Amino acid sequence: MRYPVGAVASIGHRISGVLLVLMLPFAVLALDRSLRSDAAFFAISGWLRLPAALLAWACAHHLFAGIRHLLTDVGIGASLPAARASAYAALIAAAAVGLAFLAL
Amino acid sequence: MTLLSGQRAFVFQRLSALVLLAYIAAAAVRLALGAPVTLAQWQAWAAQPLAAAALLVLALALVAHAWVGIRDVVLDYVRPFAVCVTVLGIAATGLALLAAWSALILVSHAL
Repeated sequence: MRYPVGAVASIGHRISGVLLVLMLPFAVLALDRSLRSDAAFFAISGWLRLPAALLAWACAHHLFAGIRHLLTDVGIGASLPAARASAYAALIAAAAVGLAFLAL
Repeated sequence: MTLLSGQRAFVFQRLSALVLLAYIAAAAVRLALGAPVTLAQWQAWAAQPLAAAALLVLALALVAHAWVGIRDVVLDYVRPFAVCVTVLGIAATGLALLAAWSALILVSHAL
């Protein structure tokens, strides 16, 4: 089965959103530790690199695809060629952010 | 408009998205201008009442946005109805606890 690129960007927006919600408890824990001077808590060890890259991808994809949805809502880039181009742009930019974190 | 009205959720989701977008843009500008990056600088900044209030608004917008998103996903995919309602209840409770926990952290740090 072949999905149009817009559908891939859209389902990615949902998947990244669910991932981000599941990470919320850790975000609040990080807030707590950061205000308590727990520097050791923020030392990212090697095995955390993959989850960190996944989280970076989720943030980036949710942000880019979300901005794309908001613009489409107000009629910007709503034509099919423009929507396809922006879907590719969001997917590629988010993948680049994830890969950059992996390489970090 | 009922509790699970799609239209209200739609508006709520987009308004909270705009709030979060504004925070991300502000954070990006501040970081670009050399905002606090050490733990000590961050703690001093977050202890100011206005900063704590801004962070609290951010936490609430995040939880509200998360709630509408999770609600949409669960309503779309989770069957049967009893399981769907149970999952929604767990999500609502969890998110409410996270909001309360964030408020407690921020207020106790600022006081």
